Amino acid sequence: MNMAALVGTALLAFGLYSTTAASADEAPVRAHDMPGMEDMPAMDAIAGDSLYQLPMMLTSAEGRTFKLAELRGRPLLITMFYSHCTSVCPLLTAQLQHLTRQLAPAERHQVRVLMVSFDTARDTPEVLRAFKAEHHIQGANWLITRAPASDVRALAAALGIQYRELADHSFNHSAVLSVTDREGTVRARTSQLSGSDASFLAAVRAQLAVADAKP
Amino acid sequence: MRAAAFLAILCTVALADPAADRLPVGPGDFVSVLPSGAVEQRIHVERFSLDRRPVTNAQFLAFVVSHPRWQRGQTPALFADTDYLSHWAGPVRLGDNAQADQPVTRVSWFAARAYCEAAGGRLPTWYEWEYAAAADEHRADARTDPTWREKILDWYARPASHPLTVVGQDPANFYGIQDLHGLIWEWVEDFNALIVSGDSRDQGDPDKLKFCGAGALSLKDKDNFAVLMRIAFLSALEARSSARSLGFRCAAGVSP
Repeated sequence: MNMAALVGTALLAFGLYSTTAASADEAPVRAHDMPGMEDMPAMDAIAGDSLYQLPMMLTSAEGRTFKLAELRGRPLLITMFYSHCTSVCPLLTAQLQHLTRQLAPAERHQVRVLMVSFDTARDTPEVLRAFKAEHHIQGANWLITRAPASDVRALAAALGIQYRELADHSFNHSAVLSVTDREGTVRARTSQLSGSDASFLAAVRAQLAVADAKP
Repeated sequence: MRAAAFLAILCTVALADPAADRLPVGPGDFVSVLPSGAVEQRIHVERFSLDRRPVTNAQFLAFVVSHPRWQRGQTPALFADTDYLSHWAGPVRLGDNAQADQPVTRVSWFAARAYCEAAGGRLPTWYEWEYAAAADEHRADARTDPTWREKILDWYARPASHPLTVVGQDPANFYGIQDLHGLIWEWVEDFNALIVSGDSRDQGDPDKLKFCGAGALSLKDKDNFAVLMRIAFLSALEARSSARSLGFRCAAGVSP
């Protein structure tokens, strides 16, 4: 093969690559779709270690689809679960509720709580709504969500959460609760599922204080 | 001259179109070393295709040239640690410590995944990898053969400082695939599904609290030590980690 043909082949290969890259372009941010997002500050570049680097779309129990990065601007409590889970997940949910109850009302409204399901087959918005009702989850700052399987795997990877679906459609998973700063960088984690975790609560409060200090 | 050399590398890569060098594997059923739940189940693997060889430095270089986001120094810290491609001479230059035909290593899971997506595929799942790697040169499943097991184990006895050979030195297995054993560790899509406790003998109640569900920790087939070591290695990784002997290959086909 002569040089011109080689170059042509090379260019072809790169043409292919760039097409793939273009298709990965993210959907525009729709901040107004989210409660409490109107006051979001102007966007700077996303921090390199921020979860908001993940180009991930979530669908809430209410059926609203939004980009993970739209949650930027407030501290985020984040965990992963599945609604058919009978052992660890109820504890995880209860621990999240216990944690937010320890915050002052003003603090409580500043923090967002995001739960993302592993169970992409069964956790439809309808099932997630039933989960919310069963656990008395109220308030627009609680987001009980599902996402495409590939994105769920990537989010778990970013959060250091391990999970695996078993033959009976239950999941093995590690229980990890993380708090991010307003820019999406994880600042603290806990695996404590009962009682008060003072150091994690302090970390959440610290992130709220940082968020408050900004205009 | 530098431009010419650069072009030469690009052309080599383009000629070895990665997607064209994927070979069919399966469908089939097998018993994985991973437990599938309370009751032992045969795992069904759908037909998929797997790269004949691990992804090389040259192939990965072509990828980062066309995807600057994945160049060393450009990749967000969420997706790669500071060791990412640190043996390359520069962000888009291999240099003396990275031969074109050596498998690319020091790549994170996120980077490996992005490469496979750009190459029209995805990372194999653990079951797919394990299924393909159960074969020797003549049999689809050679795992019960003590001679074969020992041959694989030999690799683990080699010192870590041993330089990586170029890809494709290994005899092709039953499917025509090479280097599944004996060259590098390989990322799989569900590396974070390989839940193993630090001590696999420790399967008491404390773990029930840490992991939701049954059968998280006990690994079957303790004789298949080489594969168990792989699981232990992968399960200890973070997605942004990179390691000197950790590379990958891509697969294609319906995701299980």
